[in-house]
Amino acid sequence: MKRNGVKMIKINSKNVDVFYGKKQALFNINLDIEENQVTALIGPSGCGKSTFLRCLNRMNDVIDICKVQGQIIINNFDINDKSCDVVRLREKIGMVFQKPNPFPKTIYENVSYGPTIHGMAQSKSEMDEIVETSLKKAALWEEIKDRLHEPGTGLSGGQQQRLCIARAISVKPEVILMDEPCSALDPIATAQIEELIDELKKDHTIIIVTHSMAQAARVSQNTGFFHLGELIEHGSTDKIFKNPENKRTQDYITGRFG
Amino acid sequence: MNKNKEKLLNSRYRTEKRFQFYGKSAIFLALLFLTIFIFKIFSTGYTAFQKTWLIVPVTFDAETMYLDENPSKEDLEDADYFDLALQTMFDLDKSASEKQQNDLKKMVSYFFEREIKRELLNDPSLIGKTKDVYLTASDDLDQVFKGNYPRDLPEDQRRVTDYQLKIFDQLVEQGRVESKFNLSFFTYPDSREAELAGIASSFMGSIFSILVCLVIAFPVAVLAAIYLEEFAPKNRFTDFIEVNINNLAAVPSIVFGLLGLGILLAVFQLPRSTPLVGGITLSLMTLPTIIIACRASLKAVPPSIREAALAMGASRMQTTMHHTVPLSMPGTLSGTIIGLAQALGETAPLILIGMVAFVNTIPGSPLDPAASLPVQIYIWAESAERGFVEKVSACIMVLLGFLILMNLFAQIIRHKFEKKWS
Amino acid sequence: MNLILFIFIVLLGFTSYYFGRKKAYTIQSTNKRLTALPQFYGYYLAIWCAIPAFIIYSLWAIFEPTIVKLLILSDYANQGYLDDELNLIYEKTKALSRGQFTGEVTSFIQTSSEKYLNLRSIAQSSKVVIVLCIIIASVAYAYKRISSNNRTREPVEKFFKAVLFTASLAAILTTVGIVFSLIFQTVDFFKVIPLFDFVFGTHWYPAKAFVRDSSEALDPSMYSDTFGAVPIFAGTFFIAFIAMCVAIPIGLMSGIYLAEYASYKVRQYAKPLIEILAGIPTVVYGFFAALTVGPFLKDIGTAMGLEVSAESALAAGGVMGIMIIPFISSLSDDVITSVPQSLRDGSYAMGATKSETIKKVIFPAALPGIVGSILLGVSRAIGETMIVVMASGLAANLTLNPLESTSTITAQIVVILIGDQAFGDPKTQAAFALGMTLFLVTLSLNIFALRVVKKYREKYE
Ligand SMILES: Nc1ncnc2c1ncn2[C@@H]1O[C@H](COP(=O)(O)OP(=O)(O)O)[C@@H](O)[C@H]1O
Ligand SMILES: [Mg+2]
Repeated sequence: MKRNGVKMIKINSKNVDVFYGKKQALFNINLDIEENQVTALIGPSGCGKSTFLRCLNRMNDVIDICKVQGQIIINNFDINDKSCDVVRLREKIGMVFQKPNPFPKTIYENVSYGPTIHGMAQSKSEMDEIVETSLKKAALWEEIKDRLHEPGTGLSGGQQQRLCIARAISVKPEVILMDEPCSALDPIATAQIEELIDELKKDHTIIIVTHSMAQAARVSQNTGFFHLGELIEHGSTDKIFKNPENKRTQDYITGRFG
Repeated sequence: MNKNKEKLLNSRYRTEKRFQFYGKSAIFLALLFLTIFIFKIFSTGYTAFQKTWLIVPVTFDAETMYLDENPSKEDLEDADYFDLALQTMFDLDKSASEKQQNDLKKMVSYFFEREIKRELLNDPSLIGKTKDVYLTASDDLDQVFKGNYPRDLPEDQRRVTDYQLKIFDQLVEQGRVESKFNLSFFTYPDSREAELAGIASSFMGSIFSILVCLVIAFPVAVLAAIYLEEFAPKNRFTDFIEVNINNLAAVPSIVFGLLGLGILLAVFQLPRSTPLVGGITLSLMTLPTIIIACRASLKAVPPSIREAALAMGASRMQTTMHHTVPLSMPGTLSGTIIGLAQALGETAPLILIGMVAFVNTIPGSPLDPAASLPVQIYIWAESAERGFVEKVSACIMVLLGFLILMNLFAQIIRHKFEKKWS
Repeated sequence: MNLILFIFIVLLGFTSYYFGRKKAYTIQSTNKRLTALPQFYGYYLAIWCAIPAFIIYSLWAIFEPTIVKLLILSDYANQGYLDDELNLIYEKTKALSRGQFTGEVTSFIQTSSEKYLNLRSIAQSSKVVIVLCIIIASVAYAYKRISSNNRTREPVEKFFKAVLFTASLAAILTTVGIVFSLIFQTVDFFKVIPLFDFVFGTHWYPAKAFVRDSSEALDPSMYSDTFGAVPIFAGTFFIAFIAMCVAIPIGLMSGIYLAEYASYKVRQYAKPLIEILAGIPTVVYGFFAALTVGPFLKDIGTAMGLEVSAESALAAGGVMGIMIIPFISSLSDDVITSVPQSLRDGSYAMGATKSETIKKVIFPAALPGIVGSILLGVSRAIGETMIVVMASGLAANLTLNPLESTSTITAQIVVILIGDQAFGDPKTQAAFALGMTLFLVTLSLNIFALRVVKKYREKYE
């Protein structure tokens, strides 16, 4: 989105290196993410897309051997700084995973989980409202409004993934990270989610990892191409797909490898 | 709003800290128990590896032994040393009353006669001469010398009399009391007298039981595991076997003791109190452990190896025997050793089949009555005498030593020989 | 004699193996295709040698004593002896033949014993002859079969498979053995003591039942109010309860800490150290409880003005709890570790703290597995013997005061059976009835717990 003709940058990463033990997975990544836009990260598998995505909400902390260096600045604040509080960070930056991972609890509890731990609802009715709006935004409400108290694990794959999206947006995050959210879904569920993503970008900045170039072209405004741990090229999706500067990008887009 | 949020966040972090603290405390407590445990055992047990001796001058007077001139070897063997031994003790205090003489006699073990005899047999030329002889001190004096026994109790609450203490102190002053490594603890069988009790009989009992257990349990368990893992069809019956094995592994050990008593002793009339019956009982207990370990390591052999062998035209049996089983052996062996270690520490079933009988001979075969190390611990722990407390701890130390060795051995086998499939 | 025969048969087995293989090579040299590797021809012959030998040996072992006994006792037939007396005569005869007889030797017995020795030696030699003949015949038959190049691999492998299958029956046989060893005595016990009195009676004084002259007939009225098992059932569950009060919080929290918080290093050292607690023999715990913990609690109690028994349920239960800590901790550690990482990621990504994730996501997900492991711990506590034998009382008090002493099922079994037992005595039978109860209770707990754990495993596989 442009305000006064200037791109608004939401996330600004500078010289990010990531190591798994001795092995370096990302090399000197400098990538800016525009606010209220969809940014797609593409590249052959193992090139470090997920790793980069997980840097943005410090999910790599969970992996003992993983070390992140460099700066990632969100709202003028370096999230790799010692003073950064991951709990608050992750409240602001939600995440949706490759495989739908609803908690083995009811649908309602799945969505109310975030608001509960962050103390966002003062009363039951407030919570009901949050749950309802989140499910509505995730385009799931109509399908499941009668079985809110049934286990979330009983839903179909596509529904589960939308439940996970509802769970993520329930705490009103500024950014939503999506790691191949459709790779476990059938084409119809995929289409529903893509539609949803387009809807969500009004309120959220979205970064999506995908291995499907068609999907990147459909949903994103900006694209970054990763290869072997390096960010080869990034820019507007149009440009990357129609007129890439780098030869490797071109090869990948045209399906010569990957 | 923001203020509330701050407060909530702080309290969330406090909860987090508290939870972590509980976790740490739990680990700390568990390790604390372990430490107290080991400390207690060692601090009460280490003294048992020392034994107190009284060094008493013995005059080998031929007359007191009723020996003729120039006695032959046999004469020396048959001679009566009791009077000589008594006289030796009485000589410690020439002016002792009859009651005091009795006290004097009780300052050494009833082996004193044998100890004096051994001295003379070693050197027959001692006849007519005087020599300092090491005599095993009574367990009460042993405890006094080791400082385990309070001296300041009133006399009637003590097992040593004031008089004995007086004589003993004199001996200490003269340097006639010595503490040396307690070899007899390892070489003597059990005894009612703490100063003479050793673990040789129960140790051999344990060894025999474990050997019997190994000889029975290992082959049966390995064959059973091979069948279940490699050949068994998946049906109701094999499921039933499987349930059986898992349950047997969790049946209380005392029930196996009842099995030994009710079937091995009562029906098959096998000899009571013997390592043979003990070993069979233990083998039934160990069987599921080994089967489970063996199956797990068979399962860990990747199917690709079986497929490779089968594709070469080997039969199922050949594939199993030539490839799968050898590859699974490290895991099986270490599981077996761990199972045997469990069996080695087992007490209750052995008590039921009569291995608690008092045995003061060292068994020479699995058919001789014997105790086992853990049963010995139980027997000694139930004895009232103070001298046995350190023996129990020492016996525990020996037992734990063996268990640690076995477990280390199992670890080594596992880490050295087991192939890592990835 | 038997040993020599055995060695001879083994040697024969090896020889047949050798001949079988040699035959195979001969067949091969005539350019015929073998149906299997040469060693299978060897195995084939060896099996034909071993099976008949084994069968005849077993038959002999089963029938020889009975037949010899019949023959010996036929001399005494129709002389008005009772069965018991006949048995006694036979025992005496055997003892005399072995030279172990101490007592007056009557001429009858002398004759019988000579006859006995005679019969035995006939039996021995005929056994040798028959075994050898049959082995040779069967090996010869087998040799003929392989000469015509019949299939050998399949029968041999079938045989091995049969051996494997037989071995796998061992577990079932053990279970059957347990049931058999318990059931007869238990049934006899309930013939004398009504089931109702056992299950609902509140007085347990088995010692009373021992004050009986063995010549007296059993008089059930004597045992009324003697075998009421309520106090020991109560004691068993009470002590197990105390044990679980110690084991569950400590075990569960350390399991959680090890699985979720501990760094690789801490885990590497703390886990095996805690598991040492599981490897310590229970008799050692018993000694510790009786000698250290019991008196310690008593001293504390006295200092606080409380009446504490040196054999308090608290001491036994507490120490038992320490013993069970590692079971709960390592089982729940396993269960928690098997909760998929994706659930954790989902929760962390929402901004949950670690403890929130554990309490609200992981724990509920792992609950069935944890319940299963706790039940296994309970079963262990109920079946634990040495700690209670050494540290708790032997008198069965019906109490819920942890500072008093109580007794348990296992302790009573040991107390009753530790000396010489007379089978047929209600006291001995009572021990077996208790054993049966213990077996059934722990069995149902185990089956239930294992099923819960298995279900749980399958869910996240
Ligand atoms: N937990 C981990 N431990 C070690 N190496 C990892 C881990 N996760 C990813 N990697 C390595 O980091 C590189 C990038 O992985 P990833 O970011 O998952 O790739 P992508 O998502 O683009 O397919 C890969 O080479 C992978 O092997
Ligand atoms: Mg990925």
